[in-house]
Amino acid sequence: MAASRTRSLVGSSGGLSRRELLRAALVGAGGVALGGALAGCATPSAAGAGKTSVMVWDLFSGGDGALMQEMAGVVAAANPDIAVETTTLAWGPPYYTKLAMASSGGRPPEAAVMHMSRLAGYAPGGLLEPFDLDALAELGITEADFAPAVWQKAQFEGQLYALPLDTHPYIAFHNPDIVQQAGLAGPDGKLDLAAVAGADRFLEAGRAMAEVTGETGVSWGYQRDPAGCWRMFWGLYSQNGGGYELTPGRPAALDEEAATEVFEFLQAMVDGKVAAKNQDGNAASGRFMSNRTGLMFAGEWDLPMFQGANPDVGATQFPAIFDTPANYADSHAFVLPKQGTPDPARREATYRVLAGLLKEGLTWASAGHIPAYQPIVQEPAYQELTPQRDYAPAAEVAVFDPDAWFTGGGSDFQTRMADAMTDTLAGKAPARTAVTRMLSEMDRFLSQPNPA
Amino acid sequence: MTVSNAGVTAPPGRALSDLRKPSGRSGTRTASTGKSLRERDRSGYLFVAPFAVATGLFLLLPTLYGLWMSFTNQSLTGTGSEFIGFANYAEAFSDPQVWTTLWHTVWFTVLSTVPLVVVALVMALLVHTGLPGQWVWRMSFFAPYLLTSAVVSALSSWLFQPDIGLLDTWFTALGLQPVGWLTDENVAMFSIAGVTVWWTVGFNFLLYLAALQGIPQQQYEAATIDGAGGWRRLFSITLPQLRNITGVIVVLQLLASLKVFDQIYLLTAGGPNGSTRPILEYVYDTGFTNYRLGYASAISYVFFALILVFTLVRLLPSRKEA
Amino acid sequence: MSVAELVADRRTRAQQERAENRALTKLTIGPSPWVRVGALAALVVLAAIWLLPVAWGAVTSFKHEAEAALPASWWPTTGWTLEAYQQVLGNSDLLIWMWNSLVVAGLVTILTVLISAMAAFAFSQTVFKGRGLLQWLTIASIMMPGQILIVPLFRQMQVMGLVDTFAGIVLPQVVAPVMVFILKRFFDAIPSELLDAARIDGAGTWRLFWTIVLPLSRSILVAVAIFVFIGAWNNFLWPFIVTTDPQFMTLPVGLSTVKNAYGVQYAQNMASAMIAALPLLVVFMLFQRRIVQGVATTGMGGQ
Repeated sequence: MAASRTRSLVGSSGGLSRRELLRAALVGAGGVALGGALAGCATPSAAGAGKTSVMVWDLFSGGDGALMQEMAGVVAAANPDIAVETTTLAWGPPYYTKLAMASSGGRPPEAAVMHMSRLAGYAPGGLLEPFDLDALAELGITEADFAPAVWQKAQFEGQLYALPLDTHPYIAFHNPDIVQQAGLAGPDGKLDLAAVAGADRFLEAGRAMAEVTGETGVSWGYQRDPAGCWRMFWGLYSQNGGGYELTPGRPAALDEEAATEVFEFLQAMVDGKVAAKNQDGNAASGRFMSNRTGLMFAGEWDLPMFQGANPDVGATQFPAIFDTPANYADSHAFVLPKQGTPDPARREATYRVLAGLLKEGLTWASAGHIPAYQPIVQEPAYQELTPQRDYAPAAEVAVFDPDAWFTGGGSDFQTRMADAMTDTLAGKAPARTAVTRMLSEMDRFLSQPNPA
Repeated sequence: MTVSNAGVTAPPGRALSDLRKPSGRSGTRTASTGKSLRERDRSGYLFVAPFAVATGLFLLLPTLYGLWMSFTNQSLTGTGSEFIGFANYAEAFSDPQVWTTLWHTVWFTVLSTVPLVVVALVMALLVHTGLPGQWVWRMSFFAPYLLTSAVVSALSSWLFQPDIGLLDTWFTALGLQPVGWLTDENVAMFSIAGVTVWWTVGFNFLLYLAALQGIPQQQYEAATIDGAGGWRRLFSITLPQLRNITGVIVVLQLLASLKVFDQIYLLTAGGPNGSTRPILEYVYDTGFTNYRLGYASAISYVFFALILVFTLVRLLPSRKEA
Repeated sequence: MSVAELVADRRTRAQQERAENRALTKLTIGPSPWVRVGALAALVVLAAIWLLPVAWGAVTSFKHEAEAALPASWWPTTGWTLEAYQQVLGNSDLLIWMWNSLVVAGLVTILTVLISAMAAFAFSQTVFKGRGLLQWLTIASIMMPGQILIVPLFRQMQVMGLVDTFAGIVLPQVVAPVMVFILKRFFDAIPSELLDAARIDGAGTWRLFWTIVLPLSRSILVAVAIFVFIGAWNNFLWPFIVTTDPQFMTLPVGLSTVKNAYGVQYAQNMASAMIAALPLLVVFMLFQRRIVQGVATTGMGGQ
């Protein structure tokens, strides 16, 4: 196997990567300095000489990142000739910017996680390499292992550019105790979706939970969380039957009536009673976890964090606020950033690592995600996971981001859309203002050339 | 600043250091040539070489390269390096984001510079009273300057944290409405300016303190004998003596504030609703997040031109004083 | 000197200082006790405000994670803990970034001081063809804010293969024309008789520089070095642009780019911040006088 790359003035030597060397040395020194308080914490990876190191970048800074590390550990154990390293970078535009800069710089990580919705901004620019289907098949990964729609989304110009990892819907978590006391539980003690269906009934339910907690009923943090704003809007807008037209060079079109209704509902929800005003994601989770709200809108990836605070936390698909069944979702996938100096041995190792990670899907499912690799989904062990199975129906009505080069998870587009909503959500502008502003921002994107 | 205008006033071709040498400094001359030993030392270029090479490679070259890029449609993905003339500049001048972010930069500069000068002066005057605890005061005022931007943003966003942050907790306890420190468009820039003052005022404070220590004590003694009270002495001796240093601090501060990026990027990433995004972040967003390196270069040069004009304008009057 | 003597020496110096300060107080604000109390109160309030964010961060860093996420309280009900520090040191690359920062800031400082001093010496004490032009160019480059060069410089680093290398982080930071001029002003004041005497003795220019000029300028060199070091240690934008591999990130870049995989952890965030803040604060406490002096002289451009 190839030796580690030498990347700098102070390069790596003798197979041990710089990181491992330094960490061992420094943590050791730090441990001594702190009177041995940290002696047990130094965990230099067991990488010996001659290992091929495979670096995987991800953006899982929720609890799911820890599970990705766990999976990487299992894969590393099964492939003793490979040193697998995962790094979690700050979510959103910073992540995608760094990834693009690394790819264009020629020294990117061997593999990276990407939202499938972002593929359109990366594959055309030559920042990614397509997967070799034969090499994947040798590792037991074929088209038949994925849902056709998902496999289709992973293609670009007839080639596979993304290896789908999961589908992750934006769902509703609930605190069973509070839900029960508020009279919203079904016979199984969990949230009864019928009790929160319809805008009015949902708001009613929110007030009922607020009575129980003495504070607010629902947690939704939208401040400083552009993605959260967009997920909420796009999911509800789809429930309200809204369509879209985003064609470059032409003005954007939305169903303005449907969109306005969505904002009217959100304004009614963020009234300081049903849900707190001016809340950001962290504060919203904090309230939910400290039993100060009964229901929380969040991505299913927050499940491990919520379970840490309350093992009985419940989860369901997004309540049917409007009439059309729909649930916002996106999909994580592995991609291969373009290497400046491709190394066949390293590439082969990378394929093995990614295949291994896919097959650890059960662990990934415990992070809340719905695995894309179908053999896992069909395992009885997966079928029994709760609350995962309670929100599994979300995947059947999943709506994804609109198709355009500028849209997608953690994109500048999401930030602009969220900005356009700010005043309306804060109650400083009428519902329609958000719609008008969003349309004009969309027009701006459509008038720009695709830079990739 | 005499440092820089020395060069402007020097006649071309003549070593400007000669003009600045203390008088009577002719050097030892040898009978044979009439030239000083110093003038016969021809190895100077070897000493200048490392600096010249570094400047050429990492300042001059990118400056010219960037200028070239600004006339192309180069993308981060490597495509498109055709010459497209002034198209980028035409776009920049009609791009409202350029002017908005430029305005944010100027607004931040105004918001931060005034307190950064005034608070520093107040701190220095208070510490210069010689009251007990000198070490503590210096330490508390200057220490934040030693923190890196990431630490500053971590500490302040924790302070500003909605709902469970210290400030919101205090506000709630006092029965006041919580403030959207970093989330309210009308407040965020003030919060950032406040953080900046907290972070960097220590530097100006030290400059003022050094200047105060340079005021001859006899002046105070004379004034005391004349019966001037504390306030009188402050206004008739101290403040007038600080006029020059204040000028220096204001200029240094303006130039530093115009280049703001770190704390804004880390605290709000330009939000909420783009209301705090400075022009340097727009350059970063355009070039790296949206791949448009060529256009980003053009925006950089528009910004550079403005800084240059500002710098030259401030140089001209000081040239007369020199 | 024995320890006792040292202590005694310290004590006399402290006494002297106190006496000077008392005299200063009398001169600046006069004898009125009310003014004195007022000024002292103002100082206390200001210092409290300035210490508050760090104090609050420190308190948080010693709390249990669950407690940190509750509404603010200074005194934790579930007790103090080192948990956050253990987590941060064990699970993140914090110490690697710290090491990188140290190496980067150290290299930047050494190289900047060296090449600036050499150039300043050449401008001040030697004559060579094109010196005037070079000096003029140096002055002109003072006006060039490096921040606007991030785009072309990143491209250039890609071409030179320096992205994600220490060379790529360090080299663009060593160009400091202002420092050249600060040092030149200082070197200008070195009596030329001294240098000429050495020249007559046959000393080469390099020896002149190394054995006479540098030792004579130790104080200004230290001042410049301190200033450059603080700047390099805290520099964010350039290292942020030129590093994409977390293993080569400096402290501020790593802290803000790489996240932990366990969700938002307030206590751990604060623990990281405290650890990151510590080195320079400790250095400052040890060398306060020197640093204050260095920043003041260099900051004013050597005026």
